[in-house]
Amino acid sequence: MDHPAWFLIPALVVLVVFFFVPTIFNFVYSFTNWSSFHADIRFVGLSNFATLFTTGTLVNDLRTTLVYAVLVAVFQNVGGLVLALVLERDTRINRFARVAFFVPVVMSALAVGYIFQAMLKPTGALNQILGAFAGHTVNIAWLGSTTWTIVVVALIHGWKWMGLSMLIYLAGLKTINEDIIEAARIDGANWWATFRSIRFPLLAPAVTFNVATSLLGSMNGFDIVQATTSGGPGGTTELLNIFIFRTFGQGLFAQATTMSLTLFLMVGILAFPVIYLLRRRERVL
Amino acid sequence: MKTIHRRAAVVTALAATLMLALTGCTNPGSTTPTAGGSPAAWPAEDTKLDGVTLTLWAAQNSNHEADAVISGFEQLTGAKVNVVTIPDPYEQGIQTKVATGDKPDLAFWQPTASMLTALNATQNLISLDGAPWVSNYTGNLANMTGILNNTRYAALVTTPAVIGVYYNKDVFAANGVTSTPTNWDDFITLAQTLKSKGVTPFYEMGADRWATQWWVQAQLADAAKSGLWDRVNANQEKFTDPTIQGAINTYQQLIQEGLFNSDIKTATFVDQGNALLNGDAAMAMQVNSFFSELQAESTTDVLNQKIGFFPISPTGNVGTYIPDQSNAVVAFNTGNATQEAAAKQFLEYWLGSGYNAFLSDQNTVSLLSTAATPSTVPTALTDVAKALDTSVGSMQALAIANPDLYINLANMIQGTMTPVQVAQTTQTQFAQLAQAQGAPGF
Repeated sequence: MDHPAWFLIPALVVLVVFFFVPTIFNFVYSFTNWSSFHADIRFVGLSNFATLFTTGTLVNDLRTTLVYAVLVAVFQNVGGLVLALVLERDTRINRFARVAFFVPVVMSALAVGYIFQAMLKPTGALNQILGAFAGHTVNIAWLGSTTWTIVVVALIHGWKWMGLSMLIYLAGLKTINEDIIEAARIDGANWWATFRSIRFPLLAPAVTFNVATSLLGSMNGFDIVQATTSGGPGGTTELLNIFIFRTFGQGLFAQATTMSLTLFLMVGILAFPVIYLLRRRERVL
Repeated sequence: MKTIHRRAAVVTALAATLMLALTGCTNPGSTTPTAGGSPAAWPAEDTKLDGVTLTLWAAQNSNHEADAVISGFEQLTGAKVNVVTIPDPYEQGIQTKVATGDKPDLAFWQPTASMLTALNATQNLISLDGAPWVSNYTGNLANMTGILNNTRYAALVTTPAVIGVYYNKDVFAANGVTSTPTNWDDFITLAQTLKSKGVTPFYEMGADRWATQWWVQAQLADAAKSGLWDRVNANQEKFTDPTIQGAINTYQQLIQEGLFNSDIKTATFVDQGNALLNGDAAMAMQVNSFFSELQAESTTDVLNQKIGFFPISPTGNVGTYIPDQSNAVVAFNTGNATQEAAAKQFLEYWLGSGYNAFLSDQNTVSLLSTAATPSTVPTALTDVAKALDTSVGSMQALAIANPDLYINLANMIQGTMTPVQVAQTTQTQFAQLAQAQGAPGF
């Protein structure tokens, strides 16, 4: 069973070219003056980091990104779990409903963003529907509040990915041994007690996966927010990735790379404790 | 023993692959300039080009602009011209492609110094010095734009946009306004009078953001004439100094005074067009693309009747010009002499014997003394073109970098930034861009 080490090379080449090198360059270019303005690339030390942290935009956008990620994680998981519980039984209607809720997951994120943008504008479909019920014209700018718009876009993001969380929670619920539930029922536990004390703790691996992917995935969010608000109103939904995109667009490639490195580090810093804590919940299993 | 050998082999393999991959990476945008600089000879317009295929990059709003020119050129020379649409945001798409070594033969490009710098023109573009059409430009057009470090890199094909005021003639007439204002104070007094009569004087599109900067730039017209942007470029004057800061403050004051539409925070570009056409507001500070939006919503006859244009500046009617991507074309240094010559020949045809067909196809104002403007061009557009001769350059035209002033101003409208923060953020970004260019003084 002993293969020569050079058998590793083809797989290694793919890994190095497509994963290691881009990551390493992400580090390397952060310390250079790479831009669209001149042809040479020189090392400039830590000056990109220094400029970035002295202007308030980066810190501001990091905070926005974090708030967004937490909101998305909450909406996506609560929504997904509720859907999984509602659609748990294998009836024909439930199967159809599961497919329906999964459709947004496979839709283009930009398409989702543009559809919601059109629906939520002051003259959009939502206000027209509300107007029909209210009996007078409704003119709410759903994406116009400097306080609440981030919640609205996080809801859209959560809605889009809810179906995936639902699927994973469903799979988790299916693996719970029927005998345990039955024993609980015989002991007189009602639906809520069974869920709180038995089913939810046993869902721990699904929770770990769902919370980690939604939280860390939405830290890298871009498409939905770009399509709905482009970071507005007043920069209150400007995720770090939108700022990176804007900086890259200005031709400041090195600065944009520095920001993406900062985001990478931030996701990394957040990932370890989150996954550690969620994993610890699984130990009871 | 065997495992040690094995581990060494793995490490060596890893190191070797990594080194190979790393050495393959240098800045792909950095080719040595070949044709740049020296004004090479211009081929005759009808030189045969059978078998030559030219690629023209265009944006979503300019990808049909050259259709008439292309078909004429293809018939005359036997060349083939492919238009490739680069999705919006166009400028960012092109900069990224060029930075990674991907170049077309020709592209629509904003002909300002800042945007030519952003494309690293001295490295990536071919010089259009000695172009035969330059002497045919009317007025001051030949020297206005398209030039970087005394070398011409962009061929201006349509009138650069001018920042000015579009107004609804019916609203003016209904409120007894018989003449347009001749300076900034008159302009504001007019707005206050209209407001007192219950009319919304100005309409701004806060949600779509980009037009916010016109209000500041129009106020800077006189300062720009006396070298404001040269001083900003040399870091001798800042956005936070009284001139620019003052213009930002005034804009904020006008909004707070209630001279703008009440839905300024959520209004869009399309809303702005409709508001002016329907007479819901009297005026809008805008550029040419606004008129294109009006044209999409209405007919030339209606527009001639309803919509007028006047430039405005603090002490008079000086317009502020701001060329955009659809106004000009650049040719790339591809390293292939045949392609480069063909690209120049294409531009020569466009602004030569192909220009009349282009004007009637696009229904636009002529820039050349050799061709007449079609009679079907709306009067507001010919007024805009007239304003060009006395106009002064915008920030985009004269500053070495183009910071996101409009986003910061939009943030001010939304209430998340103060006028002071707008100036500070813009100055910081400007300095960062200037520094990246290696501009002296930063």
